[in-house]
Amino acid sequence: MRDVETRPRRNEWFIIAAIILVSLPLILGFFLLILSSFSEDMITNLSPSSFRPTIENWINVFQGKLAITGGIRQNILKITFNTLIVALGVSGIVTLISTLAGYSLSRMKFQGRKLMMLLLLMLHAFPGVALIVGVYLFYRLTFPQDPSMVRLYSFFYVVLARAALEIPMSVWLMKGFFDTIPWEFEWSGIIDGASRIKVWWKIMLPLIKPGILAVALFGFLAGWQDLIYVRTFLIDKTLATFIEANIEAEYSHMPLIAAAGTLYLLPTIIFFLTAQQLLLQGYSGGIKG
Amino acid sequence: MKGKKLQTLSFFLSPMIIMVGLFYLIPLIFTIYISFTKMKNWNTEKYLSEVVGFYNYQRLFHMFQHDPMIKAILLTTVIFVGITLIINVLGGLLLALGTFFVNESSASAIRLLWLLPRMSPIAVYSLVWYYFFHGSDIGTLNSILMKLGAISTPIPWGQMTPWGAWSVIIFVNGLVGVSFGMIVFTSSLNQIPKELVIAARVDGASAWQISRRILIPLTKWHFLYVLTWQFLSLLTTYPHLFLLVEWDLVNRDYGTTLALYVFNTAFGRGEQDQGLAAAAAVILSIIGILGGFVTLKVLQFERMIHEPRGDIE
Repeated sequence: MRDVETRPRRNEWFIIAAIILVSLPLILGFFLLILSSFSEDMITNLSPSSFRPTIENWINVFQGKLAITGGIRQNILKITFNTLIVALGVSGIVTLISTLAGYSLSRMKFQGRKLMMLLLLMLHAFPGVALIVGVYLFYRLTFPQDPSMVRLYSFFYVVLARAALEIPMSVWLMKGFFDTIPWEFEWSGIIDGASRIKVWWKIMLPLIKPGILAVALFGFLAGWQDLIYVRTFLIDKTLATFIEANIEAEYSHMPLIAAAGTLYLLPTIIFFLTAQQLLLQGYSGGIKG
Repeated sequence: MKGKKLQTLSFFLSPMIIMVGLFYLIPLIFTIYISFTKMKNWNTEKYLSEVVGFYNYQRLFHMFQHDPMIKAILLTTVIFVGITLIINVLGGLLLALGTFFVNESSASAIRLLWLLPRMSPIAVYSLVWYYFFHGSDIGTLNSILMKLGAISTPIPWGQMTPWGAWSVIIFVNGLVGVSFGMIVFTSSLNQIPKELVIAARVDGASAWQISRRILIPLTKWHFLYVLTWQFLSLLTTYPHLFLLVEWDLVNRDYGTTLALYVFNTAFGRGEQDQGLAAAAAVILSIIGILGGFVTLKVLQFERMIHEPRGDIE
């Protein structure tokens, strides 16, 4: 409770009601999408008559039957798996690099430290998406000669390139988490003659688990939600490019896309229900000096 | 000792430095280089070595003056960044203040709800608004208005230029950006000493008076921070616009900002003109770098960076 106890109660309900009223389109939009995935027709027109409950859409999504009439099939499990690979890859790289760099920026004195942190802030303020033309040329120039390697390389590259976008913020976030650990833990290790790397690994990492989890979660969501990088670099499809390609296709059945969208939304919802505090903490941790 | 420290530092820092070099520095140099070539349709063999000087920049400035499409895009960029920025900053401030005065569990629920736009997959988020603003009678907005009797036939909101298209892209992106301001302002409100609020309460101040006289004046730094950061981000990002334009939910010219124009010119359908796109990207980057530099100076971030005092050696 951040405001004090003397505040009048009725104001609280007034404020909550006002915020809910403003949030209504947001709640309604997501709610109708999820509900439509269980209906024979889209119910986004709000008429109760179009809601005829069915799980057919979900069955069709998992069977990859896109068209109601045609015989076009897509392996949605494979597509979901591709999305998962990108998300896990981005999460792994972001976590590893930011736990390494965050430690030294938080704990070690060296020349250029301040400059490095200011530069990272600037990179964070200036999103790398504007450089995508250059990122793509680099991709083209490093393309493997062997055609069988191309698909693998596109995964490798999209993960690295997407992770790079998250690194400035995650390093700052991780540095913030390291800052909260008292120095005594570290001194005890250094006095016993352990190297900084050993102190980092043996003493600091176990203490910083919640921070690592938060950064890993953000990295995962960044990779999972991405559309632009995936559609530019990745040869295989992910859920994002799948939805992108199917919305305008004449043969696509709308509630089916709603089901695919709800499937795509599932991890976000799961994290919302299980990791609320971590998410809120993580977002506010990234901006502290 | 010196060499050992260097070794340790490079162990910790080199992965980050390599990533920044590979995906920020090299692409920046490449983008600048491409802007001086005739690169088209990613035909690197034919055009990569064909340097044409400032040709792309001249073309771009000529288009700024004469091409109605580019004029629409520039106008859209200005309107979009300006209005969305105001919504983001004020909306974030209002949400943070609102949640400050309610109980902790309602406040958490509200904050989570408003994080949803930022956390949802971009394709799903776009899909939600695609149905909401759809120009036919399956569109939620249309059916609400038709049920209320305000309109008799569905209106293609995003195709009404310019304000229809602008309203849709500002609304959709406004909701994404609000959460950033909300989180920053919430954390700044929590840093304000409780005694100030308690003293005001004892004197009988209302929530409005507390906000007006105590909370808002004490969040000035955070206000500037959100304002400048969000400005740069709105100027240079486009993922939340991309699908709205591609799915024809909004008008192509009045739904495209300069950043999206760069992307579509380099990677879109039809003829791709990377030389031109790179030139526009360089102009955006210059604005971004200058803006970032000014921001850091104004906000005096360097004062917030403290030496690690506990480091022995």
